[in-house]
Amino acid sequence: MLLLDSIARFARQKPDNPAIITATEMLTYSDLHHRVCERADRLKAEGLREGQPYSFPATQDADFIVTYLAVHLCRAFYPLHTTGTTGASKSVIISDEAWTANAENLIDRFGFTPDLLFIICGPLGHLGSLSKIHPTLMTGGTLYIMDSLKDLNAFFKPFKDPPHPSLKGRESFSRFASFLVPSSIRMLLQFAREELAAVAHRIAFIETGAAPIAQHDMELLCEVLPHSRLFNTYASTETGIVCSYEFSRYGCRPGVVGKPMKHSSVRIGEDGRVICAGTTLMMGYVDNPEATACVLVDGEVHTADLGFIDDDGMLHLLGRDDDIINTGGYKVNPIEVEDAVSACPLVRDCICVPDPHPVLGTAPKLLYVPAPDCEVKPRAIAEFLKARLESYKIPLFYESVEAIRRTFNGKPDRKAYKVKG
Amino acid sequence: MANDKMKERIIELLSAALPLVDLDSDFLFSELDSLGVTTILMILSEEYGIVLDAKDATPRNLKNIDAILRMVEGKLKR
Repeated sequence: MLLLDSIARFARQKPDNPAIITATEMLTYSDLHHRVCERADRLKAEGLREGQPYSFPATQDADFIVTYLAVHLCRAFYPLHTTGTTGASKSVIISDEAWTANAENLIDRFGFTPDLLFIICGPLGHLGSLSKIHPTLMTGGTLYIMDSLKDLNAFFKPFKDPPHPSLKGRESFSRFASFLVPSSIRMLLQFAREELAAVAHRIAFIETGAAPIAQHDMELLCEVLPHSRLFNTYASTETGIVCSYEFSRYGCRPGVVGKPMKHSSVRIGEDGRVICAGTTLMMGYVDNPEATACVLVDGEVHTADLGFIDDDGMLHLLGRDDDIINTGGYKVNPIEVEDAVSACPLVRDCICVPDPHPVLGTAPKLLYVPAPDCEVKPRAIAEFLKARLESYKIPLFYESVEAIRRTFNGKPDRKAYKVKG
Repeated sequence: MANDKMKERIIELLSAALPLVDLDSDFLFSELDSLGVTTILMILSEEYGIVLDAKDATPRNLKNIDAILRMVEGKLKR
């Protein structure tokens, strides 16, 4: 348990160094170690056993990280939820070894150091953010947890002030980094470009991923952050962190996600899909051996991503070979949306399709046939879905249509509605 | 009168773009996520030809529709 050993070591050697900072609290390494041990003792007393999956709410605060680390200390698992590779919502088990391999991949490629403040503004329960806990704390750095990127100005707060009042008078952090999905990068470039440029010299690296990033956004980010290392990463809950491409160094090429990292390898299957191997792979889906067997075959994860490997060994992504809608990095299964809508008395028929969105890239759109004699407002459908689906799955766009196009066997004809390009 | 029309137009645009958000709320900012905030900035920038950035996306400016209207009017005056 390299991460926990690292935290214990820093708690002894550098007890007052900040480990986690949020808007309301700061935990030093000593605080963190103490709280994790206490929490682990409590979890064991409550019956948590080695090898057991343990779910709990992914709150955006230090307490989530404390419980997450305590679960690790108990040698139990925190299952991650994903729609990802298979399309239906599932829980994924990732071993301690895989988390360490992920962290070593990141440390090796990006350069995590003890003086780094890593800003987390995405949901902690998702791989993109959760995977950064390990390399940051393993190297003695500091995590800065934001509620979200709703307040763009808050992203720059740690650059201007000491990130926490108790750090006043201490030497400020010299290196900052963050993981930002492409839509967050677009938001910062569009609405906070000047602020970003003002702190450019302090940003060591930015990693993006989870969704395609436009070439224009890559180029603009390189222009605004000329000295920062900028990476486009290929990862998933099932595969772990697999490849990363430093576009600030090697050129802004959309779809290129680079060479495999230290503990990973990729190849392309006969059907053009990306297949991943290495020590970052999931152990499987919770209580679903059939789904696991479909994806995890002979120690390799077969993804739904289409791609090719060029002569330099770089992986290029060409999109998905399924109907999952990638909306700002979140994966939405349209069938799940349609099933939820089918219970709505206002709608007779529907299909959920991807539609271009200026910030997210793609967003779910619901084409619906109103029920007879019903005047349907999109708001009413959205309210109906609010009680049934997570917010990112609720369609952003709505269009009333006379009929849904179907294939000869009666299934919705998704290909006919697919966004081109 | 012109302000009423502008307010109606803002409500129309934001209702279409953010169907889940209660635009009548006096706590509008707390209902929004990062995408909601950005969507409002983008829509208003495009509709009225004004420059809006992160500094404008404050809880005060996005408190409710009337506050948004005042923000747009202020930008147009400049």
